[in-house]
Amino acid sequence: MKKLIFILCALVMTGCATTNVSKKDFSAFETAAPRSILIVPTVNHSLDVDAPNYVLSTLPVPLAEKGYYVFPVNTTKVVLEQEGLYEGDLVQRQKPEVLAKLFGADAILYVTINRWDAQYAVIVTTVTVDFDYRMVSKEGVEIFKENKKLQYSPQNNASGSPLAQLISAAINAAVARAKPNYMPLTRMANNDVFVTGKNPIPDGPYKAISNK
Amino acid sequence: MALALSACATKKQDMYQWGGYDGLLYEAYKDPNKVEEFRIKLENQIAASESAKQKVAPGLYAEVGTIYLQSGAKESAVKYYKLERDTWPESKALMTSMIENIERRPTKEEIKK
Repeated sequence: MKKLIFILCALVMTGCATTNVSKKDFSAFETAAPRSILIVPTVNHSLDVDAPNYVLSTLPVPLAEKGYYVFPVNTTKVVLEQEGLYEGDLVQRQKPEVLAKLFGADAILYVTINRWDAQYAVIVTTVTVDFDYRMVSKEGVEIFKENKKLQYSPQNNASGSPLAQLISAAINAAVARAKPNYMPLTRMANNDVFVTGKNPIPDGPYKAISNK
Repeated sequence: MALALSACATKKQDMYQWGGYDGLLYEAYKDPNKVEEFRIKLENQIAASESAKQKVAPGLYAEVGTIYLQSGAKESAVKYYKLERDTWPESKALMTSMIENIERRPTKEEIKK
């Protein structure tokens, strides 16, 4: 378990190191001051054809809890399909200004799945998720960018806090299946990027109301 | 780090009641036979939030509406899209055009408002 925490800490540090400064510049974000976020279908660079929809299902809750109106992701997907846009990469090639106008959105979130795989070895299996997150204002200006990679290798001699063991057990159980469940790591990645990490996005308008 | 882990583990969410929205959507993507279950459970959550005088989470009304639309239940779809529109002003443009689309389709008549 100590190893997991070490890996996660190392990952967090790596994530920050790429920005050079510890705090992100959110001036573009604050200028855009989005009230609503359109989450479009994800781009998949992994070999798992199911990954895009699975990742999509995890994105609305943390962003809405952050205080934004989040357009319903499945409804969005259906609308885009009616426009002939079936694949995430096709959607991401559209002009953001046009997409934003079509939905009446203030900002668009693009997520790319770089990795979503499990590497099986004799002693340990390593599950990896790696996502790029990019947010663009309705004018087409980039207002947020982050990468998050999380890996987990369950250890048999897990020890540590009950909480850490809980997570360990959840992921262990997932890995034990023929097809591993990537959802715990995916949720953790989203949470880290939007809510609990070092440079989460600013609170949205509904959060501000609820904090008053 | 401990904070990050605890936040993940407890799924701290204080603003809205989601009724398992994300998990149900995942299940529905995994197995299309579970789309109806997704709709029914969302409707249950909506009813619970409404009776508790809580604001229904963003998107829930519209997601129910879309499932109705896809099963051909246009009146129910319109009803839920209107609820989304009236609850969340940010959704107004999209919901209005979806409602107009549905109402235009069967009759081919111009919509007069």
